[in-house]
Amino acid sequence: MNAAAADWSAYDRPELRSAIATGLPGGREEVLLVAEGMHCASCVGRLRKLLGPQVQDLRINLASRTLEFVHDPRRQALSALLAQIDAAGFEPQVLAQDAGRTRARHRRRAELVRIGVAVIGAMQVMMLAWPTYFEGGAIEADIAALMRWAQLLLATPVVFYAGWPFLAGGWRALRERVPTMDLPVALSLLIAWAASALRVVTGQGELYFDAATMFVMLLGLARYFEGLSRSRAGERMRLLAGRRPLTAVREQGGTTQTVPLATLQAGDLLRVAPGEALPADGELLDETAQLDESLLSGESQPVLHRRGDTVLAGSLNLAPATLRLRVREAGSGTRLAQITRLLQQAQDDRPRVQLLADRYAGHFVLAVMALALGGAWYWWPQDADKALGVALAVLVASCPCALSLAVPTVHAAASSLLARRGVLMARPRALARLTQVDTVLFDKTGTLTRPDLAVAQVLPLAEHDAGACRRLAAGLERGLTHPIARALTAGTSELPPAQDIRLQAGGVSGRIDGRHYWIGAPEQAAQAVALPAGPQAAQASWLLLCQDQRPLALFGLRAELRPEAPRLIALLRGQGLAMELLTGDAEAPARALAARAGIAALRSRQTPEQKLARLQELQSQGRVVMAVGDGINDAPFLAAADVAVAMPQGAALAQARADVVLVGDSLSGLATLRGVARQAQRRLRQNLAWALGYNLVVLPLALGGWLTPWLAALGMSLSSLLVVGNALRLDTGER
Amino acid sequence: MEALYLLIPMGLLVVLAAALIFAWTIGSGQYENLDEQAQALPDDD
Repeated sequence: MNAAAADWSAYDRPELRSAIATGLPGGREEVLLVAEGMHCASCVGRLRKLLGPQVQDLRINLASRTLEFVHDPRRQALSALLAQIDAAGFEPQVLAQDAGRTRARHRRRAELVRIGVAVIGAMQVMMLAWPTYFEGGAIEADIAALMRWAQLLLATPVVFYAGWPFLAGGWRALRERVPTMDLPVALSLLIAWAASALRVVTGQGELYFDAATMFVMLLGLARYFEGLSRSRAGERMRLLAGRRPLTAVREQGGTTQTVPLATLQAGDLLRVAPGEALPADGELLDETAQLDESLLSGESQPVLHRRGDTVLAGSLNLAPATLRLRVREAGSGTRLAQITRLLQQAQDDRPRVQLLADRYAGHFVLAVMALALGGAWYWWPQDADKALGVALAVLVASCPCALSLAVPTVHAAASSLLARRGVLMARPRALARLTQVDTVLFDKTGTLTRPDLAVAQVLPLAEHDAGACRRLAAGLERGLTHPIARALTAGTSELPPAQDIRLQAGGVSGRIDGRHYWIGAPEQAAQAVALPAGPQAAQASWLLLCQDQRPLALFGLRAELRPEAPRLIALLRGQGLAMELLTGDAEAPARALAARAGIAALRSRQTPEQKLARLQELQSQGRVVMAVGDGINDAPFLAAADVAVAMPQGAALAQARADVVLVGDSLSGLATLRGVARQAQRRLRQNLAWALGYNLVVLPLALGGWLTPWLAALGMSLSSLLVVGNALRLDTGER
Repeated sequence: MEALYLLIPMGLLVVLAAALIFAWTIGSGQYENLDEQAQALPDDD
């Protein structure tokens, strides 16, 4: 990293600072670094010793090799710190700072403090309240008064500090005239606190401090766990965003240069040092490379790539050597950027059940407040104390807290579980439909087969041998990105220089060594050629290479069935799903492939319109159809399906209207997907049934005055915790 | 019983101290990344 040593000063420039540092009050800034050289615990110790005295809030994570700290750029430039870290041998790499991450951490800390205050306060209030539970006890009046004042002192910070999120939420609901569940919570807290405080001052009457503090404590805990499950789902996205380096090393005319990512273009040559993340998607130029793609695909093992393979931005170069690649997509076109966008979109997706629950909760809140008023009005003539207790109990017991937590926690837990298995829920609402799917339509190329074709056979027809023909074909197809071109250029070196390369009807033409060559579909050739016969040959698609319109050789291309396909299809059939293969290919190769995959129903030579028509025909028969495709060539087909599953191919991932993306590039995700969806649906139903049932059962009890406020608070909070815990079981039980 | 006049206020102070100490431990970030300490080597000097 000596070449980069001079570049540290770039990180002091304001335009880069805004991207890498989060501003904090007092002009301080928070920075996130990856220290590649940090491999062991003693490294952590050395870094701590080096940086500890110079920065604040230093957090070092050995597992992710990151370190975060807060520093004051006016007292010490970031470049000076980076130079020190570099000099100590840790090869720092500055990552784009994500303000959301910093905010989330500060919020989590604040929540924990609130919960701590609530727990400590509630316990003490209960200690002081219990002697008064026994009527006719021998407590002196003075001692009793002291205990009541002490309760007031303890409960006030619990209600107004620990319970602040509820009070603020209630106030917001009132101001915006949108009744949310915070409203009855806030109301009941305020009423309980105010009535009890008044009674402390007057010296008589029952106190509700115990109920109020317990309510804040348990409900706070339920909310905290819900937030935790949500942030766990979002954690992956932040990791993805954090993997993007800010600069790249570009090769130009024999020299290298560190440039900002924004200036990268397709065709640039890049170098990636060992241990660094790839800055762009591109074609591997080295013989082999070992990459860690775990963040992109969930695959935990290092992946071996060969020359010509597509390598993805955000994967880590694990080899001990520098890696070279030619950029295909940079910036927002990379797979990494698209996955990040999809995850963002998934977080904004609100399932229909959730919308319903929200609307229901709104009406419900109004009804509850009316009921509370009605209950108080009914009891008032008999006993004013009792009336207050009933109103409180109704408010607390019937708060739809559990109801509004029931759905989002299940979705967050299912999404984060699936993400770890390489399955990305772009639209979590599809989970509900997934369980009803009874028919699966597969596309062929890139879905049941590997996306790349391979040259299975070369049949020379003239004096040139197979090797020479391959080199000529590769020369013509060089620089094209179509799967056929990739198959023909794979594994070849020293390509002959070709000029005038032109895409023509059904093929490509060009000039090599002064002669005109053409390669393309045999039907399009000027001179008819007999294709080889036999079962082996029927599985291949054929290409003809011509020299000055004279046939030179036939190339047999074959798509390889994905190794996991037969097992998966057997598994899905075992679950009672009907399956069909729709493909644009010719009958014979498609039939052979379907047989190997284990699918009986087949439609070959399908145009996109025919695929769509078949899908709609099935749907009109009442089938719920899941379509699996590569997301580009069959976009209309996917868009019409009940559940659209896309295999991530090419660049248009984010545009494809897919509900689910198999980022793991393996069909096995489909089996996981169905299982998780079924479990999630079950949890969801349990949660909704419990939340609704609880509210309905408890309401009459509270109205009748049988339910005391503290009992109501306990039941409500436990009900919320139960719902959140039930959802989290999905995520944690399956690890 | 008179001891309670002293003990209850003292108890309140202890509670206050506990809450403040808890807030400080959260603020210092020691509950984040709980693996770090387990992976650390003993500091020799």
